[in-house]
Amino acid sequence: PVVSVVRDAESQLLPDVGAVVTCKVCSINSRFAKVHILYIGSTPLKSTFRGTIRREDIRATEKDKVEVYKSFRPGDIVLAKVISLGDAQSNYLLSTAENELGVVVARSEAGVPMVPISWCEMQCPRTHTKDFRKVARVQPQFLQT
Amino acid sequence: VMAARGVPAEACVGQLVLPGDVLLLPAHPDEDGERLRLGAGAARRGRLLCGPGLRRGGAGLTVTKCGLLRHRPAGGGSGGGAFWVDSQQKRYVPVKGDHVIGIVTAKTGDLFKVDVGGSEQASLSYLAFEGATKRNRPNVQVGDLIYGQFLVANKDMEPELVCIDSSGRASGMGVIGQDGFLFKVSLGLIRKLLAPKCEIIQELSQLYPFELVLGMNGRIWVKAKTVQQTLIIVNILEACEYMTAEQRKQALAKLSAN
Repeated sequence: PVVSVVRDAESQLLPDVGAVVTCKVCSINSRFAKVHILYIGSTPLKSTFRGTIRREDIRATEKDKVEVYKSFRPGDIVLAKVISLGDAQSNYLLSTAENELGVVVARSEAGVPMVPISWCEMQCPRTHTKDFRKVARVQPQFLQT
Repeated sequence: VMAARGVPAEACVGQLVLPGDVLLLPAHPDEDGERLRLGAGAARRGRLLCGPGLRRGGAGLTVTKCGLLRHRPAGGGSGGGAFWVDSQQKRYVPVKGDHVIGIVTAKTGDLFKVDVGGSEQASLSYLAFEGATKRNRPNVQVGDLIYGQFLVANKDMEPELVCIDSSGRASGMGVIGQDGFLFKVSLGLIRKLLAPKCEIIQELSQLYPFELVLGMNGRIWVKAKTVQQTLIIVNILEACEYMTAEQRKQALAKLSAN
């Protein structure tokens, strides 16, 4: 008799150091932002991993003048890069310190998706209010209108 | 439920409005058919301010709180006037810049946790006092009363309190002294008491001398010479919510006659 343990058919995809991941911000703090990792590259994950973006990893320049509230908000979709596999609480450490990384989708207080107008501002098309975010410069070939 | 059609905003000033009402704004002559830009945006003449209880959207303003609609007409260079809703509320929501009275509930390392009456407790750093350094810590115990202002207060993060202003001076903030009496009133009464030249405070100060601290979170701290005088002032302030001016003057006349 043979006893065997069979797991799910597909092997679990894990984020590597240096991989670009798509994540959703779940809470912010004055020191860091906690995120759920949803996609690795372009493959969706069945169960989300937790990640942390520290305040000094949000931008490449002027790291001490960064305010987390003016870069991310809960509910934003963010492109980030994995810089470390994380600590004992299995929180991956992520960074958005590049032009192509940052917020890609954000909703305004009216519930409408906002339009980016610069690398640090987004505007709501309905109420015309401007909000601060760390916006990602997405390559034109990936944009769909 | 009838879908409310837009009503011109000027027609409702001073009247009761309910959440969901749509208020139409007058078409601006400079706009010639364009949609009216409100609030943040280009500083054009006639820019309208949308105050608490109202939200911009579509053709006009949507009411989000029930109360009386108020309007301040355009005055000189301050834009095209402002609309807001005067509503009665007891539950406080932290707002950046508000001065509040908080109660210290916990002391952890270099942070104090302060109860300000909101959904979350505010955090207060021990360095946020005038003249505080890492060696020279402020003398704050659990249960003390603190008068401070909000540095950070939004719906996504924990509110942060400080007891110094932007230039580093205390300007009246910090730990509130011993004795005295703390009680809670509605937010509307606090706004009335904080108005310049408030009659209630002037009449009370002719009765007895007393110290008074008003917190925008609905908390008032009073201290007079004796416990009896303190309690009389507390009772009058609590009753001021529902008394008219004549009833208040009668009550104070009876007290000063004693």
